[in-house]
Amino acid sequence: MNELKIVGKSINKIDAKDKVDGSAIYPQDIYLENMAFGVTIRSTRPHAFIKVDTKEAGKIDGVLKVFTYKDVPGKNHHGVVLKDHEVFASKKVRRIGDPIAFIVAETKEIAEYAKNFIKVEYEDIPAVFDPEEAMKEDSPKVHDRDNVFYHFKIRRGDVEKAFKECHVIVENVYKVPMVDHAFLQPEAGVAFLDEDGRVVVIASTQYPHFDQEEIAESLGVNKEMVRVLTPAVGGAFGGREDITVQIHLAIAALTLKRPVKTVYSREESFLAHSKRHAMKMYYKTGALKDGTLLALEAKIIGDSGAYASWAMNVLRKSAVHATGPYYIPNVKVDSFAVYTNNPFTGAMRGFGATQVPIAYEQQMDILAEKLGLTPIEIRLKNCFREGSETATGQVLEGFVPLERCIEELKSF
Amino acid sequence: MILKKIEVNINGRDYCLDVEENLRLIDLLRDKLKLTGTKEGCGEGECGACTVIMGGKIVNSCLVLAFQADKSRIITIEGIEEDDVIKNSFIEEGAVQCGFCTPGMVLAAKSLLDKNLNPTEEEIREAISGNLCRCTGYNKIVSAVKKAAKLKRGGDGE
Amino acid sequence: MKKRGKGIACIFYGTGYGNGFPDVSRAYARLLEDGRVEISVGATEVGQGAKTVMVQIAAETLGLLDKDIVLINEDTSKTPDAGTAAASRQTYNTGNAVKIACENLKEKILEDAAKLLGVNTKVGLCMKDGLIYVKSYPSKKVSLKEIAELNKDLQAEGVFTAHTTQMDENGQGAPYWPYTFASCAVEVEVDTETGEVSILRAKHVLDVGRAVNPSLVEGQIDGGFAMGVGYALMEDIGLKDGKMTNGSFEKYIIPTALDIPEIEKVLIEYPEDTAPYGAKGIGEPVMIPVAPAILNAIYDAIGVRFYEIPVTPERVLLALQSKG
Repeated sequence: MNELKIVGKSINKIDAKDKVDGSAIYPQDIYLENMAFGVTIRSTRPHAFIKVDTKEAGKIDGVLKVFTYKDVPGKNHHGVVLKDHEVFASKKVRRIGDPIAFIVAETKEIAEYAKNFIKVEYEDIPAVFDPEEAMKEDSPKVHDRDNVFYHFKIRRGDVEKAFKECHVIVENVYKVPMVDHAFLQPEAGVAFLDEDGRVVVIASTQYPHFDQEEIAESLGVNKEMVRVLTPAVGGAFGGREDITVQIHLAIAALTLKRPVKTVYSREESFLAHSKRHAMKMYYKTGALKDGTLLALEAKIIGDSGAYASWAMNVLRKSAVHATGPYYIPNVKVDSFAVYTNNPFTGAMRGFGATQVPIAYEQQMDILAEKLGLTPIEIRLKNCFREGSETATGQVLEGFVPLERCIEELKSF
Repeated sequence: MILKKIEVNINGRDYCLDVEENLRLIDLLRDKLKLTGTKEGCGEGECGACTVIMGGKIVNSCLVLAFQADKSRIITIEGIEEDDVIKNSFIEEGAVQCGFCTPGMVLAAKSLLDKNLNPTEEEIREAISGNLCRCTGYNKIVSAVKKAAKLKRGGDGE
Repeated sequence: MKKRGKGIACIFYGTGYGNGFPDVSRAYARLLEDGRVEISVGATEVGQGAKTVMVQIAAETLGLLDKDIVLINEDTSKTPDAGTAAASRQTYNTGNAVKIACENLKEKILEDAAKLLGVNTKVGLCMKDGLIYVKSYPSKKVSLKEIAELNKDLQAEGVFTAHTTQMDENGQGAPYWPYTFASCAVEVEVDTETGEVSILRAKHVLDVGRAVNPSLVEGQIDGGFAMGVGYALMEDIGLKDGKMTNGSFEKYIIPTALDIPEIEKVLIEYPEDTAPYGAKGIGEPVMIPVAPAILNAIYDAIGVRFYEIPVTPERVLLALQSKG
């Protein structure tokens, strides 16, 4: 390759100047003429049938309209893979934080005040919070289907036979909790109609073109009638993959024919977006006397909370990465995505591949200690190299500089 | 709603304003004066995104009521001059990612360097420890502050 | 008492949506009247540096400076779909789409240049610094601006699809490409009186293929490291009957500047064949080895294995008590 001129150079980040000046515009920084303000009513119960009465709130001076599922012009749903989220809960809520209504008023203060007059009657139904409980046949169903909505398997070699040949076997259960992206900019957005009658939604999102489709579907219009603008985004890490403010704002702007803004507080941000999947990981790893890994069996249960979001893809990624970057000829992995009445989980930096090394990398050290090897020795013995096959049978072609990555740690 | 009259100097400009008793300083800055470089990240004084300099000290403008700013001098990110060494150091050291914490970080750094032009690394980390950043892992921000300090002392920043 | 320990971890990470999903990025490149080039692409800047990386890739491909590239990426009515800014896929996928769009535009520019210069083929033409010239006779040249004035409709598209296969019922197949590798070492100090774990120093080794912008890569390593520290030691939304008990920044603790050490960083560069200038996705891999390395270091320090995270001071004290 010819010598590169600009690739490989640490040029200044091109959006840095506006950001240090404070002039970069995030959605909360937008103020338009005649702009109304919206606030969201969310469920306070994890699993309940609801009846919503918005009449009193709607009568308050300065309240323009209270939107509920009845006001969704198109489909009352969204979701990155399964369309299992409702734009507004219609019959029941499945987690604390489900959006029920969106009050739009002349000012934020009026909208906030009107919140006190929305009556939500909850009829609690049995809920389930532990994914392993939720996997049982007689457990409460979060949706009208089995709570286990995804099961991915890897079958390679013969683990049963291989474990019999192992000199040492290590078996442990690992648990990781739900965590939050905690990006610094809470969700916010503005929607209005442009001169061509299109609905313009300004929001912080990771994927504007997908939002455009989801908004259009809920508005019941074709997607050319929707424009999504992404000004500065204050961090994302996977937490801006799912819809939050976008559809509520679009419906309000289209209905009221004026600009509508909403800004979430930090607490509402926690309620509104996905979390990293909590996982319980059952690991059994076996090696020969010299440290050669021979077999791995893993069962990974991912708590998807009330909605699927990216759970299938996340649990698939967990399974594919369950061995760690090591050649193991006999592998059996089962990963499950399970609905519960917890906050919903989705994409977060590492996407299922962040949870499993909490297990596989501790298994490696435990095995090393039992075999009298150093952590570096056992890893060098088993690590992927050029031409290695992964647990899915994929041949790693090209450069696989893992050995070098490990060698580099010797000097630490 | 009870209104209070305040006189306040913001970024070198004098304002005489009637403010609601419960109005927060951050809302005065953002909603009324459109100084939107001051960011709200949590509304409870935990994240520092709303940091401004008031009377020479950094404060979380979400925890200050507007009337409490009466007779004070306030500097927001918009009041930092165009070619400021701290801002330039942030750009050059790669201390900016999503940028939402950046105005608060720059002001926290300014407040430190206004008092101490030769801070240790520990002092820098302490000075920005009230400002959360989820993107940068702080190290490049620390380098930027070190570089700015050196430049302000008359070194070349390297 | 304060006890120190070291730990390591290494990981791999498959970029992209994967599993045969149509993982497509599109970009347009257009020659502007003033000789600059507009790149329009629906890739979101979430802080990671997508804007800068796309500009660098475009400038490199067209032999221009970064200031000669005008990037449009914030409006779905003006940009083609570049997929999500996630799965560490923008530099790899969309970077490829931008590179292809620029290569296609360059071909069109060279065709026009050949006509204008009156040469019999575009072979032998060079494009650099906004000029197209005959390589063996550099004084025969024409500028991008002159070409733009004559042909106002020079634009090209770039499309890139990541190659993956759907796995079969036994989970066999080639679900992701490329894979990025990384390793991490940390030294921790555990205060056995308070249960607090502090990170004293760290080393992070990252297979980047090629760093389009090394400073941005380092920034990702620092940021991923901090997020890994939070994951290992602090963060938990605190679920109780479906309710988050830590749903605010007062309760949900993330690392501050005082919790993060300086990190020795090593970027391993073996350009990946299918990547734009060899650059792999690194936004997620940077984080992944950090928490397990910390857990292994804690074991080295105090001889306690933590099978559950976060390893809060309370958990450390409890574990030390039951260890006796």
